Amino acid sequence: MHKMGWQDVIEGRPGDRVLLNGNEAIARGALEAGVRYASSYPGSPSSEIVQTLSKVPDSELYAEWSVNEIVSLEGATAASFAGLRAICVMKADGLNVALDFLTSMNLGGCKGGLVVTVADDPQGHSSVKEYDSRYLAKAAMVPVLEPSTVEEARAMAIAAFNFSEQIKGPVILRSVTRISHSRGLVELGKSVREDKTASLPAGDRFLTKTIFHMKARDRLIKAAGIFEDCGFNYSEGPDKADTAVFCSGTSLLYAREAIETLGLNDEIKLVKVGTTFPLPEKFILSHLRGLKNAIFAEEVRSFIEEGIVLLYARNNLGKICFYGKLSGDVAGVRGPACGEMNVDIMIKALAKVYGIHYEAPGYTPEKTAELSALVPPREYAMCPGCPHRASFWAVKTAIAVDGRNSIVAGDIGCYCLGAWDTGFNLFDTLHCMGAGPGIASGLSKLGRFGLKRPTVTIVGDSTFYHAVIPGLINGQYSGSDYLCVVLDNSVTAMTGHQPHPGSGISVYGRPVNAIKIEDIVRGLGIPCKIVDPYDNFLAAETICAMVREPGIKVLIFRRECALVAARKQRRKRRVYVDQSLCRGDACGCGRFCVSVWGCPGNIWDHKTGKANIDEAVCAGCGVCASLCPAGAIVVEEVE
Amino acid sequence: MNNSEQGYGARLKEEVIDPGFCSVCGACVGFCPYIKTFGERVGVIHDCKVCEGVCYRVCPRSPTQYHVLRQEVFGASEHDPVFGAYKAICFARAGSEHLRSRGQYGGVVTALVTFALKQGIIDGALMTGGNFTKAIPTLVSSVSDALQCAGSKYTSSPTLGLFQEAVKEGYQKIGVVGRPCQITACRKIQKASEISGGKISLVIGLFCMGSLLPEFYSFLKENHLDRYERMDIPKDILFQGAGGDVMIPFEDVRRFIRLSCLSCYDPLSELADVSVGSTEHDPGWNTLIVRTAKGMDMVEKARFTGDIETKAYPPDLLNVLREAVFNRKKRVLECPESMYLDVPPREKDYFLTAGGDA
Ligand SMILES: Cc1cc2nc3c(=O)[nH]c(=O)nc-3n(C[C@H](O)[C@H](O)[C@H](O)COP(=O)(O)OP(=O)(O)OC[C@H]3O[C@@H](n4cnc5c(N)ncnc54)[C@H](O)[C@@H]3O)c2cc1C
Repeated sequence: MHKMGWQDVIEGRPGDRVLLNGNEAIARGALEAGVRYASSYPGSPSSEIVQTLSKVPDSELYAEWSVNEIVSLEGATAASFAGLRAICVMKADGLNVALDFLTSMNLGGCKGGLVVTVADDPQGHSSVKEYDSRYLAKAAMVPVLEPSTVEEARAMAIAAFNFSEQIKGPVILRSVTRISHSRGLVELGKSVREDKTASLPAGDRFLTKTIFHMKARDRLIKAAGIFEDCGFNYSEGPDKADTAVFCSGTSLLYAREAIETLGLNDEIKLVKVGTTFPLPEKFILSHLRGLKNAIFAEEVRSFIEEGIVLLYARNNLGKICFYGKLSGDVAGVRGPACGEMNVDIMIKALAKVYGIHYEAPGYTPEKTAELSALVPPREYAMCPGCPHRASFWAVKTAIAVDGRNSIVAGDIGCYCLGAWDTGFNLFDTLHCMGAGPGIASGLSKLGRFGLKRPTVTIVGDSTFYHAVIPGLINGQYSGSDYLCVVLDNSVTAMTGHQPHPGSGISVYGRPVNAIKIEDIVRGLGIPCKIVDPYDNFLAAETICAMVREPGIKVLIFRRECALVAARKQRRKRRVYVDQSLCRGDACGCGRFCVSVWGCPGNIWDHKTGKANIDEAVCAGCGVCASLCPAGAIVVEEVE
Repeated sequence: MNNSEQGYGARLKEEVIDPGFCSVCGACVGFCPYIKTFGERVGVIHDCKVCEGVCYRVCPRSPTQYHVLRQEVFGASEHDPVFGAYKAICFARAGSEHLRSRGQYGGVVTALVTFALKQGIIDGALMTGGNFTKAIPTLVSSVSDALQCAGSKYTSSPTLGLFQEAVKEGYQKIGVVGRPCQITACRKIQKASEISGGKISLVIGLFCMGSLLPEFYSFLKENHLDRYERMDIPKDILFQGAGGDVMIPFEDVRRFIRLSCLSCYDPLSELADVSVGSTEHDPGWNTLIVRTAKGMDMVEKARFTGDIETKAYPPDLLNVLREAVFNRKKRVLECPESMYLDVPPREKDYFLTAGGDA
């Protein structure tokens, strides 16, 4: 039988060549390095690392889904203080949350190898921003390693622990979506460290003090030295060339392919930088010397480009032309430094430097434009039966009926889609985790200056534990006036259904006491109601009533994520359209179920001119049935 | 937004709801998924732009030509500019003592609905249950259900929002008890065949000088007035209960009167089959205005069976009523906010310049 990736990670033997995704490769690397503590707040595209490590018996490795990145990193660092190897995993945005601790801890440093794995998401495939975390690493004075392939991700993970112990400070391993979520063959190695004794002898103290700034600086100097001959920086192609492409991460592959496509293998040198901060200056200088053109290929912004141009400025190297994101020559359709890198961008950049006329095979730009126009626009979509759709409709309904044009402050999770068509364009603001309640609180203070619109904020359950609680406390203390709607689907859905403190399940899948959202809210003295959003009428009615109450109040829309419910294979309800009752286009609803409600389970039968249900897709929630004005949608319990 | 790009939902929102002219009659609710009501507010959730604007057409505050509607309901019958078309005006009360004790005044409305149900004139009725601390739109089909709805709720129950439910449940002859705005809406609905408007077959109108915003409910709570059993507005506001009565000045609640009501030209439900109000004189009796042949027929029969009793209207009191209604209509015609109103010039003149001389 085919093994799952995580099984290979845990059970695979040294020498096995297995197909892993980048996150699994990092997990394997960490295991081979003897990691004993792994913590994370789930965040795409990083989530599979701790998901995988959580399958290791907890006598070997402690794993944790933390409630946010800063407590996560604090916990992992504690293990390092006790001499153990620890990994803390987060997405790029999470590094912001952890940064306060990281910048403090990195002054005094740590002990056991501590690897902070940060997964960036160029193009924002599953994020609201495409943050380049290397700049934060630089601000925090923490060294950065960037793998170019899945295989290298494993190797770098192992090395990162060693580097960390050598410099006695944390090391950041920067992945990107195309590493974390693509698969590659990985040759497994053997465990390099068996020790698992935690000890924190009296007198071992880890403190922060301004003067330790010097320690952090010296650590970077040491890291730069180590990086010079670590093997992650190397060149390909001719030894002597007029042109070099300096690349990091996945851009190595794009640059390599671009050079081959243009037949420039003999003319261009490819310089791969695996340790992007601090830069291995001697190594880079050796490749800069004698160059006429330097081209940069990296994800997302111009990080190594800036470092190398600065290096050039400090050394007398003659005239070199630099082409990159700073110069604007390396740019995709979104322009330089925005969007994800790809082979086409590199081909275009190289062709430009070489004055080569290059036409991409395939359709002409005109033809492409013509064909693109034929493709129906595709919006982000929520899953069939997604309780968020019901919640959004209830909020939309309530705001319309309330009639005061409430401002909706959104937050981060699957329900980000509340900002776009599929979520009825409900959100007026959308930023980071926990921003909703803060913004709602601020807006609610502006009545004295003439702002009349009431405020509603919509947050998720996992977000609630992560970042909403301080906002609520602040709101309650400062006399805010807003309704906080918590969409409680019982898991961290967006990142792959990790449990959270309210789920009543531990990282190991064992039952634990759930920390109920309502208990916390009521403990703060904030009134709280719980409604099932599938009961859409009641849901909307409750909002209507609650927004008129003074002060801060919380409404929990509780309904399990439809995907989780489907996986549990509960008895599914059959939903169908009674064709004799559907009035088709004569109804006056304007095909509500397919054009406005927009659940993928609702389809239009063009032959009959009536609504229908795609029973293969339908989750059986029945909310559309409660909204159909003709009462044509029937919900049937199936045995 | 340019008007031609707008659907009727958006027009309803912009012309009626947003400026505060919605009277929460409920007429636009229930036949499409885009208009909903909660807490005595109505909202357009989404401008659908598809149908021929039934929501807008049936709204009593969309442009309304009373003379056209009158023509449709009363044909060429004589029309009194103050009282509207009528065949008789009298004092009336329910024949049953029990009914009278439950009714707001003489219980005529409850008696007539009960009678109409028993006689099969209607097979169901849209009424307003609950009490003055919470009005509940109610679809009734039995005498006991109807009795549960006795008593006035001075807020704006969106009772007509249940019409589609009644249609879906198969009622064929639906009666409506409503405020004047709801009666106007009923006449508009009757013309909307796509929502089976023809199934409204009896409309009993209330006299109404205005209904109150839902904020009134909070006012009741805050002032502990919600513990009383009955509320009435003889002049000031009277709350009656087992522990005694209390009267609070009308001025205290004036701010809760709906804007839509201040621009209402129809305090007597002129388009109803029969209209029922207080006598402003004897709380045991009602003023009954019989308007259509259908109304007349029902009232005659109900009198014959003893379901209601009537007596002559004292002429001096009739003049008091005439004067009050005249002044009301005049004020509304002078009010520039009454944009929905389309009243023929002659009728306008009657109130504005002729001072009541036809
Ligand atoms: C908001 C409002 C304002 C009024 N203002 C006046 C006025 O200024 N002058 C006057 O003479 N009469 C007014 N009335 C009418 C009066 O209060 C009595 O309803 C009427 O005289 C009938 O009395 P009854 O004894 O026959 O009532 P009942 O037999 O008790 O029947 C009352 C009926 O009214 C219906 N009803 C109650 N509340 C509402 C509501 N909010 N919307 C729609 N239907 C409702 C119920 O369905 C019930 O069937 C008003 C009524 C309302 C609801």
